[in-house]
Amino acid sequence: MAFIKKQTAHVESEDQDIRGLERDFIGLVAELDSDDSSVRRWAVRDLMPMPESSQPLVKRLTRENDASVRAAILNALAHLGDSVAVAGLVDCLRSEDAALRNEAIDVLKEVPHAVEPIIGGLLTDEDSDVRIFAVNILESLRHKNVEQWLIGVIEKDTHVNVCSTALDLLTEVGTEQSIPALNLLKNRFSDEPYICFSVDLALKRIANGSD
Amino acid sequence: MKHILVIDDAATVRLYHRNILEGAGYQVDEAINGIEALEKVLVQPYDLFIVDVNMPKLDGYGFLREFRSQKDVLQSPAIMVSTESGTNDRTLGYVAGANLYLTKPVKPNELLSYVRLLIGDLA
Repeated sequence: MAFIKKQTAHVESEDQDIRGLERDFIGLVAELDSDDSSVRRWAVRDLMPMPESSQPLVKRLTRENDASVRAAILNALAHLGDSVAVAGLVDCLRSEDAALRNEAIDVLKEVPHAVEPIIGGLLTDEDSDVRIFAVNILESLRHKNVEQWLIGVIEKDTHVNVCSTALDLLTEVGTEQSIPALNLLKNRFSDEPYICFSVDLALKRIANGSD
Repeated sequence: MKHILVIDDAATVRLYHRNILEGAGYQVDEAINGIEALEKVLVQPYDLFIVDVNMPKLDGYGFLREFRSQKDVLQSPAIMVSTESGTNDRTLGYVAGANLYLTKPVKPNELLSYVRLLIGDLA
């Protein structure tokens, strides 16, 4: 029995060496700037249960070049899901890095409770690309207001690509309550073949009761 | 018959492109993201790719980078089609291996003109 205990202690000691010596909040935050990606990855993992971790993780996210560490940070932010984490992820939507944008969209889809309060702001953001990404987030948000948000977009947004992105999703989730907005959209963009094609498709699917 | 792979996560966009291309006599396959597209090119050579940028799992840039690195598959031209019209997005597309970068929405005649040009199918 004593032998087994001794062996366990040895393994824990080795593990401690790999993950660094200080596992408190300040030590872990410092390790986010380590040159060793495995140290950074372990620091992210060990910060995840700490509620105050969102700020340092968000700060690290945009500077992180290692894909596995970045994935760990995104996973941690999804787990934390607080307002700081969500704000950091929203900032990523404005990034020039397409991969980071897509990763942020995927994470935001996973935290509907946190996204709900801010989705209205994203859907009316001054940057049309952010509005498009906001519609992309709605795609998997599984929220009861999704159709209503999409109707709001196609009724009011003046940018054809924001409307077409909303339309792509409305073609899948739209019900009879979308019909007036769809017809209005087709009139607004009557010279855009893609909009006309998509509206006709959506109307046909709604009429057929297709899921 | 020339064979085209349309890669886009939006079903409506894939159907829109399919209708245009099949109406002009092309054979069309679809993939919903870059990963599925890479799987398809391993078993079927294509004469042209129409590639969306923002897709889950593997985006258009990632697909083109990986595809262009595969020297043992037919390196056909690719048209990248995106909602993003920024210079940086366009540059990234060309660096990744796109032959042409178009901004959505693409009109049918415009798409067919570029497809015919790139596929060497001009009358």
